[in-house]
Amino acid sequence: MTRTLFTNARLLDPAQALDAPGYLLAEDGLITAAGAGSADTTLRKDAEIIDCKGACLAPGLVDMRVQSADPGAEHLEDLHTLLHAAASGGISTIVALPNAKPVIDDASMIDSLSLRATRIGGARLRLYGAATRKLRGKAMAELGLMAEAGAVGFSNGNRCIMDSLVMRRLLAYSAMLDRPFIQHCEDHDLTAAGEMNEGETSTRLGLIGAPAEAEAIIIDRDLHLIRMTGARYHAAHISTRAAIESIRRAKAEGLPVTADTAPPYFMLNEMAVSTYDTAFKLSPPLRSEDDRQAVIAALADGTIDAIASDHVPVDGDAKAQPFGPSQPGASGVDTLLALTLSLVHQGHLELLRALELLSLAPSTILDLGGGALIPGTAADLVMFDADSSHIIRGSAFASSSRVTPFEGMPVQGRVLATYVAGAPIFRA
Amino acid sequence: MTGQSQTGAPDGAASPKSTRKAGSGSPVSLPHRHLLGIEGLSPIDILALIDRGDMFADLIQSDTAPPPPFSETLRGRTIINLFFENSTRTRVSFELAAKHLGGSVLNINVAGSSVKKGETLLDTATTLNAMHPHILVVRHNCSGAAKLLSQHVDAAVINAGDGRHEHPTQALLDALTIKRRVGRIQGLKIAICGDIANSRVARSNIHLLATLGAEIRLVCPTTLLPAAIDMMGVEVFTDLEEGIRDADIVMMLRLQTERMEGTETPSQREYFNLFGLDRTKLMRAAPNALIMHPGPMNRGVEIDSATADDVEKSLIRTQVEIGVAARMACLEALAGASGDRR
Repeated sequence: MTRTLFTNARLLDPAQALDAPGYLLAEDGLITAAGAGSADTTLRKDAEIIDCKGACLAPGLVDMRVQSADPGAEHLEDLHTLLHAAASGGISTIVALPNAKPVIDDASMIDSLSLRATRIGGARLRLYGAATRKLRGKAMAELGLMAEAGAVGFSNGNRCIMDSLVMRRLLAYSAMLDRPFIQHCEDHDLTAAGEMNEGETSTRLGLIGAPAEAEAIIIDRDLHLIRMTGARYHAAHISTRAAIESIRRAKAEGLPVTADTAPPYFMLNEMAVSTYDTAFKLSPPLRSEDDRQAVIAALADGTIDAIASDHVPVDGDAKAQPFGPSQPGASGVDTLLALTLSLVHQGHLELLRALELLSLAPSTILDLGGGALIPGTAADLVMFDADSSHIIRGSAFASSSRVTPFEGMPVQGRVLATYVAGAPIFRA
Repeated sequence: MTGQSQTGAPDGAASPKSTRKAGSGSPVSLPHRHLLGIEGLSPIDILALIDRGDMFADLIQSDTAPPPPFSETLRGRTIINLFFENSTRTRVSFELAAKHLGGSVLNINVAGSSVKKGETLLDTATTLNAMHPHILVVRHNCSGAAKLLSQHVDAAVINAGDGRHEHPTQALLDALTIKRRVGRIQGLKIAICGDIANSRVARSNIHLLATLGAEIRLVCPTTLLPAAIDMMGVEVFTDLEEGIRDADIVMMLRLQTERMEGTETPSQREYFNLFGLDRTKLMRAAPNALIMHPGPMNRGVEIDSATADDVEKSLIRTQVEIGVAARMACLEALAGASGDRR
């Protein structure tokens, strides 16, 4: 039996609204005791003692939107690098999107990737199954077999399901399998060749605008289909006020709807594109300041449930292009915690709320059974210093994908260690 | 990164020369190393370039002036015309302007090559940079391409049109053309008509003409109107006759062929009917109204031939002629910057 006792920690558990100096005992990978104050001597017996020296100890982060370049583009980032980069970012579980090459639309791929991940160590890997074959938005993939193989939900990657009939059936089938459906909310017909958010900035720069309404249009359509099917629906990387208002109404109505956003949408706005710097080319695009404020408010009031990194490994060459043809996306696992903590330091969120957004909520949405410091759950933990400051440098990322829209930004929050099942997967 | 961005330069960084009183007609020295757009240029820089161009235009049109080259400013300097999009008039205009100043010109036409567009830009930039050109004149179908290029080469970069963003020398030559004919720009009513959404000429002209105090109206179908354009200080019309009422200048824009029959405009016939300029509609404009077009024209689409060829009212041919003079002023202004790094 392995026993690890964390002492002298600032225990933070959103599930119990706990924020107190205390201790935590992990035995054979599970949390067996946690509480305020100091651990009594019986707990110390035969245990490895880790003195947290007052650092924060919280449930490990659950990053529910990560793109893996493995399989298909391992030269950008292989699974080994990704899982260890996540670990260094305080993330104990990542959930990878199906848009790999080949597309993860088959149970055998879920099996093999899951197996590879267990051999690697680092953060845990969970997977979404592709909603449609090859992500083409037409024929349904083998959702049932993928669910049996461990798919935690279904997603069509960065492609929205445009066909309403296909969407209706996907929701009905997901409901039958009791798995959430993760939607990338974008009316691709409306955004067409869009290069950035439509508005004054796109007009001034001569870039083709993608209107913000393209996000809410899909959510509004999907809400009708959710009423028809009763499916659990999750709106991914929400970036606009209009979409947030639709989600708020749906929640008030009691529909099984959840949502996440990513740091760019609460930290940056479309003005960042003014220099044509392709690090700011993202999907969805950076929106207006009004949208950004709406995202922050929605994180605080619970309309948005979770924050994900929206990590996308991107080739430097794919970014060294004019803005229009450059590839959207940026690295995210290295900066997820510090950027989210900036909302705490700016006074928008309580620390416990921030941690809920990063661990308990995504874990609950996807039925992962973690995200809390309750005895009996896996000892997936992050130890961090919430105040230590540094400047974000892509060159210092553990991820091999180093394109970041936050280059040079000062932040506070440093991961000291990350644990999966009580064992360290990262130590600073 | 070797290039200092043109728009990134603080306004206060203007060199003493550029703040001198406009109108002296001496070589212009810009506070920026590149000419990437009109946005970010001060009214003084703009006026200085126009005045210098005015002087060159006199020289070109003079019967008594000695034959070109008119100056040795660019002697020993290499100017590369790097065109990723097809162009005849702009490329030839720059070539002639450079030769009039004694420069050596190379033309590189990358348009139509099978190489992928984005890759070509920086790869080509690296290759060309190794040959130490002094000035790169670049046209590209992507907005921001000239700026990107300027960050990767040592040469001074002139934007000869980047996507839907800017075409600064076109705006300068348009302003010079107006000034030579009308004598002023301030207070003129200028209507810019046609495909505003996809026009770099429109954006550069809006910046320049508004900076110099013209009253600008845009006329276009709602499907070709870019978002929040009214924030640029213009008045928008969807009726051509309304929009050009009492206008002193009517500037028509080209409608790309691929947009003529689709979801932006239903047909060439309908577009001409609603937004094409002809003699009847032109009667709404001021009695001495002048017509401009950056070219190439689609006769019978945005303008009818009788109007385009009206020697009394059309400045279209003059624009081409004046273009050389305006570009001479720009090349000369960057010649200093291009020499600093050699």
